[in-house]
Amino acid sequence: MRTTLSSNERYRAGVIPYAKMGYWEPDYIPKDTDVLALFRVTPQDGVDPIEAAAAVAGESSTATWTVVWTDRLTACEVYRAKAYRVDAVPNSPGQYFAYIAYDMDLFEEGSIANLTASIIGNVFGFKAIKALRLEDMRIPVAYLKTFQGPATGIVVERERLDKFGRPLLGATIKPKLGLSGKNYGRVVYEALRGGLDFTKDDENINSQPFMRWSERFLFGMEAVNRAAAATGEIKGHYFNVTAGTMEDMYERAEFAKELGSIIIMIDLVVGYTAIQSMAKWARRNDMILHLHRAGNSAYARQKNHGMNFRVICKWMRMAGVDHLHAGTVVGKLEGDPLMVRGFYDTLREPHTAARLENGLFFEQDWASLRMVMPVASGGIHAGQMHQLLHYLGEDVILQFGGGTIGHPAGIQAGATANRVAVEAIIQARNEGRDYLKEGPEILERAARWCSPLRGALETWKDVTFNYESTDTADFVPVATPTY
Amino acid sequence: MRITQGTFSFLPDLTDQQIVSQIDYCITNGWSIGIEHTDDPHPRNSYWEMWDLPMFEVRDPAAILVEIKACRKALPNHYIKVNANNPLRGRETVALSFIVNRPQREPGFRLDRQEVGGRAIQYTIHSYAADKPEGERYDGERTDSGNGRG
Amino acid sequence: MECISETQAAQDEVVDIGVALRESNIQDVLGELDGELIGLVPVKLRIRQIASLLLVERLREQMALCADPPSLHMCFTGRPGTGKTTVAMRMAKILHRLGYVRRGHLVVATRDDLVGQYVGHTAPKTKEILQKATGGVLFIDEAYYLYRAENERDYGQEAIEILLQFMENRRDDLVVILAGYKERMDSFFQSNPGMHSRIAHHIDFPDYSLDELIEIAELMARQQMYGFDEDSRAAFKEYLQLRIKQPLFANARSVRNAIDRIKLRQAVRLVEQGGRIAKQELARIDALDIRQSRVFQGGLDGAEVHSPAKALQV
Repeated sequence: MRTTLSSNERYRAGVIPYAKMGYWEPDYIPKDTDVLALFRVTPQDGVDPIEAAAAVAGESSTATWTVVWTDRLTACEVYRAKAYRVDAVPNSPGQYFAYIAYDMDLFEEGSIANLTASIIGNVFGFKAIKALRLEDMRIPVAYLKTFQGPATGIVVERERLDKFGRPLLGATIKPKLGLSGKNYGRVVYEALRGGLDFTKDDENINSQPFMRWSERFLFGMEAVNRAAAATGEIKGHYFNVTAGTMEDMYERAEFAKELGSIIIMIDLVVGYTAIQSMAKWARRNDMILHLHRAGNSAYARQKNHGMNFRVICKWMRMAGVDHLHAGTVVGKLEGDPLMVRGFYDTLREPHTAARLENGLFFEQDWASLRMVMPVASGGIHAGQMHQLLHYLGEDVILQFGGGTIGHPAGIQAGATANRVAVEAIIQARNEGRDYLKEGPEILERAARWCSPLRGALETWKDVTFNYESTDTADFVPVATPTY
Repeated sequence: MRITQGTFSFLPDLTDQQIVSQIDYCITNGWSIGIEHTDDPHPRNSYWEMWDLPMFEVRDPAAILVEIKACRKALPNHYIKVNANNPLRGRETVALSFIVNRPQREPGFRLDRQEVGGRAIQYTIHSYAADKPEGERYDGERTDSGNGRG
Repeated sequence: MECISETQAAQDEVVDIGVALRESNIQDVLGELDGELIGLVPVKLRIRQIASLLLVERLREQMALCADPPSLHMCFTGRPGTGKTTVAMRMAKILHRLGYVRRGHLVVATRDDLVGQYVGHTAPKTKEILQKATGGVLFIDEAYYLYRAENERDYGQEAIEILLQFMENRRDDLVVILAGYKERMDSFFQSNPGMHSRIAHHIDFPDYSLDELIEIAELMARQQMYGFDEDSRAAFKEYLQLRIKQPLFANARSVRNAIDRIKLRQAVRLVEQGGRIAKQELARIDALDIRQSRVFQGGLDGAEVHSPAKALQV
């Protein structure tokens, strides 16, 4: 299909296909400073895939449904997004990968809100497209440098906690809702005392009639400090400061800081702007910032429509969070191992190559933005420790909510079981053993002298969550990802 | 009590053979090894005393075990830990850290509370060991304990 | 190692030396030695002898026959450029494969690495080298420089003391190889009998013969994709005959330096010649490239004038 028209033809009033308006440029070579996006496009029947791709490019940049003469008052070739490549998706008739390049000047520096409003603000409802999914983005180094990036990052977090060489352990306080402040603090104390590094508010624990936020903070810090004194370790509880307004969020965060907490948390639902504000606050106040990805599955889970979670990973790293829930592979929540590997690498690596089998469509240089600690949470237990280390690596927070609090001998026992399990597997890995294969045996051996671990293994040994993943790779892996 | 700092504190104290294995892992990864000791194990004490400089380019863990034993002999009642340093760009921090010696009795910490406005409390952890001056903190300690080197 | 009386040990236990030899994998190291190094016949023989001794010691130990752990420290004497460092590296591998050292790496040190310039400087320096060499072989080049009898403020003696201690008490951790000119090593040992008594094996590295040096030159040239023709080969032989008689001749090292200068002259000749040049001309060494050397006029050759220290290195 011919690309652009002559300016006479191009700017005559009327409607022209997007592909002829300059939004389809197959010879365009993306610049190092371009923002690139990859969409999975399902055009309506009868709509040409290239026209659909061009439409997406158009509607996410300068176009409107009819020609406008005012375009000619601008350097419109610069501002037009260019769809430069369209590939059919393997094994999925009717779906196409559309690669689109955006000039850096389209975006405000340091603003996730603007980046997203530009890219996904308009296109998803577009009638000519049956379904649309933002699969991946390449952020140029020049644009990355306008963002703060993670307030703390993995290296500094470990130095603050003085904990190296093993995954960190956490637990969400259960039951999710209903505990009073004092009872809540009891669970925090027991879990931290028993051996976990962190405990956590759940995403919907903000400030409710059964427990207001300041009661939780006061009792929680008593528990954290008691546990720290009892063990000689630095401990933390992620206090959820999510609230209805930014002012309330700042108030809660300041109180947590005043009480001496090392970490706070917020939920994804507060919005990108609030997240960036909190990240800036966290950097200024030496606070670790944990982000719960509340709500993302509403749009991230279906393969044909929505936004892939890896894009959220990228945006959140730019916005500046220090922790992000990113999947467990073997737990109760959705997570195909290859896809999860892609998420973890996006959060943790200083540079990722394009690896289609992990869903990484672009090479991404992170321009020395700090590394986000991924969090694995949801239906995991001590008996899976070897698998968790194998799939997720060492720089991760493993959260065992039910797996700690549901231990038959009590919360401390649950915590101790998890801690002994992780240390034993790490020790074995360092010694050069095939810890994935010998994992059950290593845990058994440790359980002989550690009765809490014995209890955990007995209680949960048959628990697995084997369902088909809904979000899987489109490309065959060339090698299995391991650490 | 038993402070649980370091990567392996929830496991039984490592045997010398197990320590050598861990050090071997560090050497294979190209990390330099440092030995540090202290008599004040407060969790915010980031700077234990260095037992000589970190060892670079040492290929055999046995050489490091010799130093650990020397440190244990000189300071049997101090906490001694082994740190492995990763110099890779973007990392440039400690990769592994574990305790290889403890005093026979660990008195632990006291939690001090300072009531401030409202219901808020300011907390401080105080190590009992630090009640006594350096050099006299643990039973049977010589007063000339310092680095013990050179 | 405890002694077990003959009646206790099973007298008819059998060991297959061939299998043990194969399993130890030292044959390829010995093969490398034969292949890579030209000449050195007496040295290669000695190395084989020592390797056989160590292998048999191992087998005896496995059979629980009385055996004090063998002393492994060695002394290599000979002029510079006679292959001492290369052989030391091979020896480290052999020791490693026979299980006498844990890692089998080689650390090369001279006096400057071991001895300090002020009080208290020496011990940590020596200790650091020993730490790095633990598990492998420490090769001390020109070891006699450690001992300077005439200067009583010299700290070399301290380094020698520390080394002696280590060689005696930490035999499992380290093998020491001293190296240098034979005469000077002899007088060093006279003044340091403690050191002498700890050396188990003395190996002398004779100078290369003229033919061996030519063979080395051919090998070096071939490795760099150059080649002599009949004339230049003859010219090079004459060059060597003259050069050997001059001071500071460092055997293989001097040959390497000579090849470098030949390459330089060849390049200059080709550029001055100009025009179109066939591929084989780029590789061919002409007699002219050699005869231009000042050695033919009784002078000293190029780079070796400016840095005599280079020739002293092994």
